[in-house]
Order: sequence, then structure tokens, then C-alpha cells
Amino acid sequence: MMAGGAMPGRTIPQPVEAVPETAPPIVELANVSKTFGQGRQEVSALEHIRLAIGRGEFVTVVGPSGCGKSTLFNILAGLTEADPGASIRYGGQPRAAKELLGKVAFMPQRDLLLPWRRVVDNAILPLQVEGMSRAEALKRAAPMFPEFGLAGFEKHYPHQLSGGMRQRVALMRTFLFERDLTLLDEPFGALDALTRSLMQRWLLEVWQRHQRTILFITHDVDEAIFLGDRVVVMTARPGRIKLVLDVKLPRPRDAEIVTSPEFIQIKRQVLAAIEEESLKSFQQATGG
Amino acid sequence: MMGVVKTVRRAALALGTLAAAAAIATPAAALETVSVRLKWVAQAQFAGVYVAKAKGFYEAEGLDVTINPGGPNLNAESLVASGSDSFAVGGGIESLMASRDKKLPIVGLGMMHQRTPYVFVTMNDSGIKTLKDFKGKKVTTFFTGAQHTLNAMLLKEGVNPADVTITAQAVSMTPFISKEVDVATVTLYNELNVLKARGITNVTVFAPDDYGISVPRDVLITSEKMIAEKPKAVQGFLNATLRGWKYAIQNQGEAVDIVMAAAPGLDKAHQTAMLAEAGRLTIADAGTTKGIAALDMDRLKGAHDLLLNAKVINAPVDFATAFAPQFWDAVPAADKKM
Amino acid sequence: MRSTFVPQIAALLGLLFLWEAVVLAFNVPAHVMPTASAVLQDIGTGAALIGRGVARTLLETLLGFAIGAMVGFAFGAAFAWSRALERVLFPLFILSQAIPVIAFGALVVMWLGNGIWSKVAIAAYLTAFPVTVNTCRGMRSVDPQRVALLRSFGAGDWRVFWSLQVPFALPSIMAALKLGISLGLIGAIVGEWFGDTVGLGILLLQAMYMENMPRLWAVILVCGVIGIALYALMEAIERRWVWWRPEL
Repeated sequence: MMAGGAMPGRTIPQPVEAVPETAPPIVELANVSKTFGQGRQEVSALEHIRLAIGRGEFVTVVGPSGCGKSTLFNILAGLTEADPGASIRYGGQPRAAKELLGKVAFMPQRDLLLPWRRVVDNAILPLQVEGMSRAEALKRAAPMFPEFGLAGFEKHYPHQLSGGMRQRVALMRTFLFERDLTLLDEPFGALDALTRSLMQRWLLEVWQRHQRTILFITHDVDEAIFLGDRVVVMTARPGRIKLVLDVKLPRPRDAEIVTSPEFIQIKRQVLAAIEEESLKSFQQATGG
Repeated sequence: MMGVVKTVRRAALALGTLAAAAAIATPAAALETVSVRLKWVAQAQFAGVYVAKAKGFYEAEGLDVTINPGGPNLNAESLVASGSDSFAVGGGIESLMASRDKKLPIVGLGMMHQRTPYVFVTMNDSGIKTLKDFKGKKVTTFFTGAQHTLNAMLLKEGVNPADVTITAQAVSMTPFISKEVDVATVTLYNELNVLKARGITNVTVFAPDDYGISVPRDVLITSEKMIAEKPKAVQGFLNATLRGWKYAIQNQGEAVDIVMAAAPGLDKAHQTAMLAEAGRLTIADAGTTKGIAALDMDRLKGAHDLLLNAKVINAPVDFATAFAPQFWDAVPAADKKM
Repeated sequence: MRSTFVPQIAALLGLLFLWEAVVLAFNVPAHVMPTASAVLQDIGTGAALIGRGVARTLLETLLGFAIGAMVGFAFGAAFAWSRALERVLFPLFILSQAIPVIAFGALVVMWLGNGIWSKVAIAAYLTAFPVTVNTCRGMRSVDPQRVALLRSFGAGDWRVFWSLQVPFALPSIMAALKLGISLGLIGAIVGEWFGDTVGLGILLLQAMYMENMPRLWAVILVCGVIGIALYALMEAIERRWVWWRPEL
């Protein structure tokens, strides 16, 4: 990558701390709840979620299985409506969830590539949905292939790629869909540990270069701290926000940072919160 | 795929050309457009119709006739009753009677085969010399009407049909040839020729007419509506068809060629034999004394009573409405008398 | 590609030799089973006639197949789109399939006359059913997560339909088309039995009722070859354009 290239979205990385605390948040959730089913079958997936994400922030969400992280994402992506009484402000405007369709870049856990489309055509799918011609979309996508480690694989089909590469195609697709907020739901969950740590560092680079706002779900506490400006810890059913921790580790971060005392300090706090929650839900389950 | 597109396009072009040709031809000729449905695939059994068309007899009567061949499971009677076809060479008298019994508005104009066109055959060495010998034997017949004829014949000779093993006959004559069955049913113009072609000539024939039972077949039919609305077309069709038959019987070689031109898949020798036999059935009895396709009412009445006894029809059929003999009577003698 | 047909051709030749040998060795009479050489000879002498029959029947088959495939696709898509529509109409589809096509013959002739279109209609009718079923099933089984993803990009129903549901259902539609083209051929042949003078179905009838065994087997052989060729064509189309399998 040539420094100082005139390509759009290739400006010099800006430190996150530069985002003023007073800037209006991109998204602001208050009193967001979600229950599924009715009567005795009723399950409360989310309860009174309050969360604001500022422009350029990288916020990670950790929590035990079934804490409603995916439900939260579906609401933010516009795929599920929150219970009545919720307040969702996006770009300063109050919105119903379904009004967010097409406004948020969403990447689910699985890569969900379309097997009949070549890598390049998978990547430009959201642009085509927006109405852009294929030729123009291809022009827009072309410079991103080297950056996403996919140079030379443009014409391949998904089944010809490794899991890590498929995930990068899905990420590229998400990044080509330029929206104020990008939701990533455990994108590295299925990768082996080594690939995963490479992908994490690579993601941070891409994030900084493209100046995106990211909300990132993970199971992995190390990953949440390593990536995030803030870590949100959620409780198990009903999903509530238990703890929000600022991660004041310097950027750019390298692999050794996970052994630093500051990192371990934060990790201890997060684990303690999760531990408490897990115990609670275990006791609930066993009736203790 | 390109080939398909091309073929489709070519077909569309051809259709367009045909439509254009028809548009030009119709006002000039001003012919009445009618159709005739055959009860079976194109073959010499219907030679008269093909000859009338090829020789321009229909056109001379002011008719533009489309010949629609039939096939298995296609009922000529209901196609005429529904108005899909103007005329038909229908099934036997039994089909006309059954259709009238079911209140189908079809009317008989003429009867092509004056005698029962099918007979029962057995090998000379089967030991069956008379109908009485059928008792306990295996007999196959067409279950489209011929079984009633067989029953009537047996009853007349004092044989209880229940004592004979009667089953439906398949297309092939092979079970008879290989002697799996003792008696089989053959039409004189088709299956009997198949037997001959296989070199089987040593057979004994039991013809219904020899036992006083006649089931004339190949009725020329039209609908009550045609008679009411286009009596001229009905008369013209009958005139030309009979003229066609007379010509076919007198010029059999040419008639076979005309049929072969219409349906090229046919076997010439077979068609020649078929026309000879169909011609014989056409000029038998009243076919000669009165003329081709004459309605021999006494004989038809006999067939009607047989069908009533066999409960093929539930009530007597009124001949005054089932036939319209006035058209046949009005056919010029030169067209129908041999 | 060409080399892959060698074993099939070898198998076919082997079968013909076996046929010839068995008929000669056991002295099977011609009216039971003619020799392979007699049948091939009949194809030779009747080439012009059989050629005309092939052209006609093939045209009926392909037109009927194309129409049936489109109708089946439209109904399948409509059923996938609306359960209510499926509940109302699908039983009628099943009912119609339970009635032998023979029963419709006279109706089709009444409605469409004796020309090529009545045969096309029967071919289309037989083709449409499997295509309807598989289109509906294929579209129903579309991955809901991929639908959600497209929706999150702001895709409307039409975009989801063409960019996701159709390609997703194509492998199962293809399977139906492979079956449908054989059914279309049968439909065209049976359609000719409702009255015509040209076509393989007519040659079959003529041979059957006149017990012309070499011709009967010649037509059966030709029908078989056409059936295999059409199937191979569909396979080739599938290999070239519909090679993927839905990932769930």
C-alpha cells in the first residue's frame, strides 16, 4: 500500500481519542427490549438496553450464549422490531427498526456468500442492490482486493476459497456497503486461533484506514478487549447491559499487548462480571 | 439452445405464412369450412374421404374440408356432438345408439360397412367346428362392442356365454398365433390381413352375419345443429364422400397412393389389402342394391334390438331422430350406385 | 468432453450386439423380437419418414417443454410467495396429475384443434407439474439468513426474488427440468395419438396396429435416443450454468 495515495478512504489513520466526547452519537438506544413468544412461552431476550455509539468508535460486545447479542444486532440492522416503548435514534433521528434497513452495514456470523456468484460479484452485491451498475461497482471494488488479501481471487467462486478468505470476502462486502454504522457478528468465530489473531490486527488496520464505526459481537474476551475502544458486557437471559468498560490501550495495538498489565487488569474485570452472570444463570437452570 | 430458438422462429414464420395464405384464399374461394373426424388414424379404411378431398369433390360441393385423423381414446362421436368437428366417420351402429341413448345430439347420415366388419377366427386344427364348440374354450374379443355380438351369436346357438372364457383382446395377434387362445376376433380389413401376412391362412371364420346377426359399422355422422343450420353443407359432404368412395373402389391403386400421400408411414401392401376388404364391406348387400352407405333400416333395427337386450342402451332409440335418411336419399344416383 | 461419451457408446454398441446374438442364437421369431440388424435396416430404409417424424415430435416436445417450464416456474414461484394461493390451487394441481392424460385428450383436441398445439399442450402439461413442485420447494428452502442479509442491504422483494430465490432454487428446478423434458417427449408422442398423420407417435401407432415389428422397434429405439439426447442436453446446461448446490 502506497502511503499518501490519492485513493478515497485511504487517509492517514486518526487516533480514536481524537473523537470529541461531545460529538453527537451515530446511534443511541434507550429502553430497548425484546420478548419472543406469548404467555408461558414468553422469553425475554433483551431488557432495557441503553447504549450510545459515537462516530468512529469500535465497540465490542461480549456475553454468554443466549444473552441476546444477535437480537440486538437484528434490531440495529432493521430485521427485527423492538418491543413498543423503545427509543432508537439513528443519526439524531428517532427511527423504527425497519427504517434502518439499508442504512446499517451488517455482517452476520456466517459469511453467507452466494455460491453462484464469483468473489467479486459477491463483494459488490450491496452496491448492486443500491442500484449501482455492475461496471461502476467493479471499479469501486477493484482497489480493495489487495487490501483484503484477495488479489488474484476475484474470479474464484466461494467454494474454491478457505474459510478465512471467505470471511474476508464477506468483510469486504460489508465495507463496500459504506454506512455510518457497521455491525459485525462474531466474524472470526469459525476461524482457527492463528488466522483469527491475524485477522484481528488486519481488521483494526482496515477500520482505521476507512474510519468506520463498528459494533462487534464476540464470545472471546481477549478479542473484545484487543479490538474495542469500549467493551460492553451483557448478561444472560434476559439480556441486559451489565458493564461498560473503556479500553484505554494505545493504538495501533500489536499482539504482545494481550500480556500487558493494563490488558490483564481489564480482562479480570470483564471475566469477573461474566463469571457472576454465568453462575447466576447456572443456578437458575438447576433451580439452586 | 440457438437451434431451438431458430426452430421456434421458423415455426412462427411458417404459421404466419399459413395465416396469410388462408387470409388470401378464403374470400376468393368462399368455401364453407368444415371438418371430418376419422375414428382412427389415417388409413385406407377411410380412403373415400381422402379421395374426395384429393380429387376436389368436396370443393366442387363448395366445401373446404379438413380431415382430422383419430387415435386411441379419442371419441369421434363426442367431438361431433361438441361441435369441434362437423362430421365424422364414427364407430359402429352401437356407438351411434349409445350416443343417442346418452342424449348426444348426433345423427347418422349413412352406413359405410353394410356387414359386421369383424369376425371370429380359430385355427383349423383347434377342434372347433361350430359355435357350440366354443364351450370351455378361451376366446378373446374387443370389449368395445364386439363382446355383445359374440354373446348374441352364442345365445342363438344355445350356448351360455358364461360357459366360455371370454377376455379382452390385446393389440397383438401373437397370443392367437402362439395358440394361447383358441378363438380371436379380427377385423376383415386389418387383423385378418396381419394374420395372412404372417402366413396364417388355415383358419376357420365365424362371421356374425352368417348367424343372422349384423352390426354395421363406420357410420357417417353429423350433429343436429349442422343439419338445422347448414343442411347444404351436410348434403354436399355426403355427396362428395360417397363419390369419393365410388372412385376409390373403382380405382384402388390410385386411392391407396392418395392415402399414402396423406400418411406416409403406412405399408402399401397392407393398405391395398385393407382397401380391397373395406370396399367389399361397402358394396355388400344394400351397398349394391341401393347404393353406397345406404341405411338398411331392417338390419339396423336388428342391431338396435341386440344392443337393447345386452343393455348397452337403456331404452329404445327413436330412429326418426337418430338418422336423417333424407340426405342419403337426395344423393345423386351417379355418386352412390356402383 | 467428447471422450466422456466413449463408454456410453461402447455400452450401446455392446447392447446391440447382445441383442443380435440372442435373437439369432435362440431363433426368436421376428414378430416377437426382430434382430437388431433388421431394426437398424428399417431405420435406414425409413430414414426420410422417421426423420420427418423426429423433426415434428422434437418441435412439439421442445415447444411444450418451454411453455411447461415457464408455466411451472410461474406457478411454483407464486406458490412459494403465497401459502394461501398454494393451499387453494395446489390440490387442483395434484388432482390434475392423478387423472391420466388420456382423459384430457379429447378436451385438448376440442380446445386446440388437431394441429401441433394440442400436442404442445399435452407436453407442456406433463412438464409443468414437476417444475411447479420443485420451483416452489426450491424457493421455500431459501436460506432465511441470506434473505435477511439482502434485506439489510435495503433489497426489496423483487431483488430478493431474482438475486437470491431464483438462483437458490435453480438446482432443484434443473432436476425437475431433466425429468420434465422426458415427460415432454412422452406428452408429444401421446398427444399425436389424439390424431395426426406425422410424428413418432403416429409411426408407433401404425407399426403397433399393423404389427410391423422392425418398425415398432425402430421407433422405440429412435425415441430412446432422442430421450437420452435431450437429457444429455439438460445435463450439459446444468454443468455449464447451474453447477452449484445450495449451501445452508
